[in-house]
Amino acid sequence: MGSVDLGGGGRSHKKAGGVKKPKRIGFALDMTPLVDVAFLLLTFFMFATTMAQPQIMEISVPPNLEVPIDVAESNLLTIMVRGDGRVFYQRGAGTNPIQPLKPEEVRTFAVQANAEKGNALITTLKVDPTAKYSQLVKVLDELNIAEGELTTKYKQQGIESGKRERKFAIVAMTPDDKAALTAL
Amino acid sequence: MAHKPKRVGFKLDMTPLVDVAFLLLTFFMFTAKFKSDAENEQKYEIKRPTASADTTRLPDAGTAIVKIGIDPKTNDTVLAYAVSNEKDRSGIYGAVEGIGGDALHRAQLELAKDDTNKLKTLVLATRRQDPKIKFAIDADRRVSYGRIQTVMDAFRSQGATIFNFVTVSGADAPKDDKAG
Repeated sequence: MGSVDLGGGGRSHKKAGGVKKPKRIGFALDMTPLVDVAFLLLTFFMFATTMAQPQIMEISVPPNLEVPIDVAESNLLTIMVRGDGRVFYQRGAGTNPIQPLKPEEVRTFAVQANAEKGNALITTLKVDPTAKYSQLVKVLDELNIAEGELTTKYKQQGIESGKRERKFAIVAMTPDDKAALTAL
Repeated sequence: MAHKPKRVGFKLDMTPLVDVAFLLLTFFMFTAKFKSDAENEQKYEIKRPTASADTTRLPDAGTAIVKIGIDPKTNDTVLAYAVSNEKDRSGIYGAVEGIGGDALHRAQLELAKDDTNKLKTLVLATRRQDPKIKFAIDADRRVSYGRIQTVMDAFRSQGATIFNFVTVSGADAPKDDKAG
């Protein structure tokens, strides 16, 4: 870049014995408008930002199969959510007893039930259509957390984490289930 | 600084304040994520259920979302179908009879809350348009499970057996989150 000599105006030009002028050090710039705009933008972005980022929870449903697959009843665990949000479980199927489950026990129960059966447990979740969606997500979340805890449990049992096959499905509640739950 | 003999008022060094302000400004500018087109169009806010286990973020593109919300005015359930990719919209929405013109390019399509047939048509059209699309159900936590079940059955009948529930992290949830 070239520089222009402005003939005596520059600081570098110091003439010996020149007139003593008050020295100008630096320069003053009014920053107020800049700061005003900066604060305006800051408040705008603060209010416009949505901090709660949506997350996703993956669900898979069994495809429509023509031929039903037979599974051992002993490997079956059904978790049920009643219309009022209370959680129950049933081992096996049919007329096996349905027992209540406290919401905070779902996780430990799922870990324990899975650990007992090694890798074979099939969990189904039946939710009453009148129950709230949040109640379903709550149970699903607990089961997802249990899945994480199971990894350590399986390691103790000698099952590698890659070998874990989660067998889980959300199934429609049958009228029989509903009747049994209402009676409880 | 040049000192004047007379002190009128006082001087306060604003530099650190301005420094911090700019720092915050840049932070918020970079983290800002604005509402999607679909969210701008809808008149209701979906109060998502909280979950903590799965922290995968909802992708911005390549999603087809079934939205089940609650209209704050009428307290009625509302159903909508939103396709994130703009180029896919007309092809998908066009599969439904009676939709044309401007509605083909809207970010989300409002459906009657019990219109399962239209939903099925849309799901199938979406899978034809983009087989790799991610399906999601974005429902209000106060909605009854029966509504979700209907949508899940619609997904299942059209072969979309893997989909997602849209949730929000427990730490980010608002304080009134005492549902259930």
